[in-house]
Order: sequence, then structure tokens, then C-alpha cells
Amino acid sequence: MSASESIDRVLNGLDTAEGNLCSYNKTGEPTQVLTSTVPSQKSDHDSIKWNLILSALNKKLMDYYGVAVLLILWELAPRLGWIDRQFFPPLSSIFAEGSKLVKDGTLILHIAVSLQRTFQGLICAIALAVPLGFVLGGWFPRFTRFLSPLLKLFGQINAFSLFPLFVLFFGIGELAKFSIIFWSCLWPILFTTIAGVQEVDPLFIKLARSMGSGRLILFVKVLLPGALPSIFTGVRIGATVAFLMLIAAEMIGASSGLGWLVLNSSINYLIPRLYLAALLIALLGMMLNYSIHWLEGLLIQGKDELKVA
Amino acid sequence: MTTSNNDSPWSRSSWLDRSSILLFFAVWELAPRAGGLLETFLAPPSAVLKTLWVLLQNGELYGHVTVSLGRASAGFAVAALIAIPLGFLLGGNFKSFERVVNPVLRFLGQVNPFSLFPLFVMLFGISEISKVAMIFWVCIWPILFNTITGVKGIDPLLVRSARSMGIRTPTLFFKVILPAASPGIFTGLKMGSGTAFFMLIAAEMIGASRGLGWLVWNAQINFQIPQLFAATVVISVLGLILNSLLELLERHLLGWRVAANNN
Repeated sequence: MSASESIDRVLNGLDTAEGNLCSYNKTGEPTQVLTSTVPSQKSDHDSIKWNLILSALNKKLMDYYGVAVLLILWELAPRLGWIDRQFFPPLSSIFAEGSKLVKDGTLILHIAVSLQRTFQGLICAIALAVPLGFVLGGWFPRFTRFLSPLLKLFGQINAFSLFPLFVLFFGIGELAKFSIIFWSCLWPILFTTIAGVQEVDPLFIKLARSMGSGRLILFVKVLLPGALPSIFTGVRIGATVAFLMLIAAEMIGASSGLGWLVLNSSINYLIPRLYLAALLIALLGMMLNYSIHWLEGLLIQGKDELKVA
Repeated sequence: MTTSNNDSPWSRSSWLDRSSILLFFAVWELAPRAGGLLETFLAPPSAVLKTLWVLLQNGELYGHVTVSLGRASAGFAVAALIAIPLGFLLGGNFKSFERVVNPVLRFLGQVNPFSLFPLFVMLFGISEISKVAMIFWVCIWPILFNTITGVKGIDPLLVRSARSMGIRTPTLFFKVILPAASPGIFTGLKMGSGTAFFMLIAAEMIGASRGLGWLVWNAQINFQIPQLFAATVVISVLGLILNSLLELLERHLLGWRVAANNN
């Protein structure tokens, strides 16, 4: 079999595997549909190559088509008068507002303040919940059993209904916002850490013990890697909750931050600014989520390699 | 150190295990009696119960609870009615379309409901609709995503074998696709109802004149500490009841799945 024939077979195989995805190009018009017969002429071969490149491109761009259509609609619909421009300003005016706020430096300030508050609460919660979870789950199972209904009750309490209490105790300062974020991300992280530690296979622990590993090695090499996926689930939930609570906290009582920006622009009827803040909040939340995912992949991949070795 | 799978203390609960809660209530009862700052800001459970009893007797509590539950269930029901059929369509019939709109949906699902609340207020006014719309918004995403995942995750072998036995489309849907996707749908419904209740309190705190969230807010403004604690307790208890009701329903409806796993 010649080399070109084998390439063709691969190409055809790819074509059928990708189904109807590859029969459309970027503009959505159907391109030449591939046939399953092996083409013998060079021009056919080239067209197949092009189709393959287009289909690969198409597959990569697939995630962005919907977003692109949404953005174009958002720009056009208010301009063409399909929807009320007062309530749905076109995208360009939102960007214009954004660049104005970037220029006078306030936008960066609000983003920085919001991120700082989120990370303060989240990191303090991780710093307390993960060691506490290890101690409770690993060293004192009886005590954990005694405490677990109470902890679950605390975790179930609606954080919003506690908000006035926090304000009563700590005032409308940074401390109240910090404590509400801290409180609401503490519980998911604590619960998943305890569950993660307890779900480590006892066989691994006995094995490590029988091979004479000390406490430190047992912790670093067995318990921590075993519990890490579960802990990360908790951290992801915690980060989502933290960001949600942050915006709420900033809307209820703050003088800076993205939540305040939303509230302030709605009070002053600055609609483009309101959309800008809402968009930024959504984007930041997504970025936070993705970066934790990325970190998780980085750390847990290492663990899998370790397992194989 | 003893760690084992079968004996996970985390999953067990018996009467003796609840003693920590009793201990907590005892401390809560005694702490305010120590005086000082705690006396001003902490209402002991006895005072909270007294306030609850008063609120119960004059019928105020009943009114707030029904208003809150009405809002939550309205938003939740509308979200479920839209999200479940849409999820079936996107996950089952229009898979390539789902691929295209998925990033958009994910992005919309990320949009913080609090940043939308001012928009809803602008569009609908500070009315019932804006609060229900907010609950609708937070409910629809988990239900939709989980339905899509549930429908997409159906084993094609099940569908093919049903087809080869000459099943007709409606029967296929009710006998194969719906039961196979129901665990996913249920996960979504459970997540949705949890967030619905969560958001409800927030929405009522921001703009309402009735409901449990308003009760908390009003108590704080008027510095009625026992009422503040009472409302918090009622909200927590209602949340717990809602959760266990859903778990019960899940066990009832999806009991066959657990039974099949045990065999």
C-alpha cells in the first residue's frame, strides 16, 4: 500500500468519526461532503486535506460559535430596535463604559478589592478547614462522630440569614464581609476533607505502616494524595459560594468592589455600567473556577503518575 | 489512627450521636447569662422559642412561611417546566446544536443572580415577579445541565435493544429514556431546590415586605434579637425539612436503582 493511500484511509476514518461536524465550514455553509471511496486523483486529495484542516478548525471553534452569535445579537438587537435600548444597551456601549472606568482607574480598584476579599476568606477557610478536617477525620473518628450532626447543622444554616447576625457582631466593616465569606466556604471544605480522609483505603495505610513509614511520611505520601481529589471538590464549591456571598455582601454594605458597583449603578440608573459589572462578575467567577480546575489537574495528575510508578 | 470505609462515622447518625446538638443548645442557653456583649447580641433558645410561640399564635409566622414557600415553589416549578423538556431536546434530539450553545449556557449559568437582581427590578419593578424571576434564574441552570448530562449519559445499548424489540417512540421515551435519565434530573432538581431556598432569603432581604427573609431583615433593623434568631432557626429548619423531603422522594422514586445496585 502506498503512503498516500494510507493517508487517505486515515482521513476517511477521521471523517466518519467526526460525523456531520466536518461537512460544514466556518460560515456554516456545507462544504464538499467527503465520500468513502478512496480518491485517486491529486486534486481530490488536496480537497480532502483542506476539508480536514477546516474540520479541525471547525471543531476548535465549535465552542465559540454560540458565544459569537450571542455577542453579535447583543450588539445588533438594541441598535435595530428589536429590544429596548434603555434596558439592553448594545455591547459597544458597555465596552465604552468599561474603557472609561479603566482609564480613571476605578475598575481595577473594584476588581482588586473584590478579589482580595474573596481570597482572604477562601484562603483562611482552607487554612482552617483542611488541617481540622485531617485531624477530625484521621485522628479522632469518635469525636468526629460526636460532632458531625452539629457540624452538618451549621453547614445547613442559610448564610444569608446569618448575615444580619454577623453585621451585629462585627459591624458593617471588612470584618463582617470577611467572616460571612469565611463561614460559607468553611463548611464544604471541612466536610469534603473529612470525607476524603476517611475514604482513603485502609489497606494503603496498613501497607505504608508495615513498611515502616513514620507519621509524617504516612501523611505526606498516603493520606494527603488520597484525600486531595475530595478536598479539591470542596475548594471548588467553596470558591463558588465565596464569590456568590461576596457579591451579596458588597451589595448589602460596602463602598467599593464589584457588588457595590452593581448596586451603585442600578441606583444611579447607569445601565451600561450595571451590565459591565455583571459581565465582569460572571467572567471572574468563571476564571476562578477554571484556575482551580487547572490547579487540580496539575496536582492530581502527579498523583496518578505516582500510582502507576 | 483508624480509618475505614465501612465504619465511616460521617455517614452514621443515631440518637446518641445527636448529643453534640443538645450540648450546643445548652451552651447557647447559658452563654447569654454570662452577661456583657453576649447578653446584648445573643438570644438564648428559651427566648427564641418564646418569640416563635408568639409569632405562631398571632399567625404571623404562618403568613411569612406560606409567602416564602409560594415564591420559592413558583420559581422552581417554572424553571423545572422549562429546563427538563429543554434538556431532553438539547441532550437527545439536537446534540450538535447543544454543542454550540453549551458555552453560552455555561456562561449564563455563571452570571451571578445578585448582579441580575437590579435588572429584574428595573424590568419588573419591586414586585413578586422580580423575586420569582431571580429564583427561576438560579433554579433553571442546575436542572438544565443535569438533565442534559443525564440524557446524554444514557447507554445507547438500552435504546438500541428497545428499538430492536420494536418499541414505538412514545413508549421508548417513557420506558427507557425517562427512567434512565431520571437520576440526573433528580440531582438537578435537588440542587435547584437548595439554591432556590438559598436565593429566596436573599431576594426577600433585598426587597420585600413579607416572607422569612424580610422577617430576618426587619428584626435586624429594629434590633429585635430574639426575633432575628427565631427567623434564622425557622429558615434553617425549613431548609432541613425540604432537603429530607427531597431525599425521601428520591428514595421512593428511584428506589429501583438502589435495589438493582445491591443485587
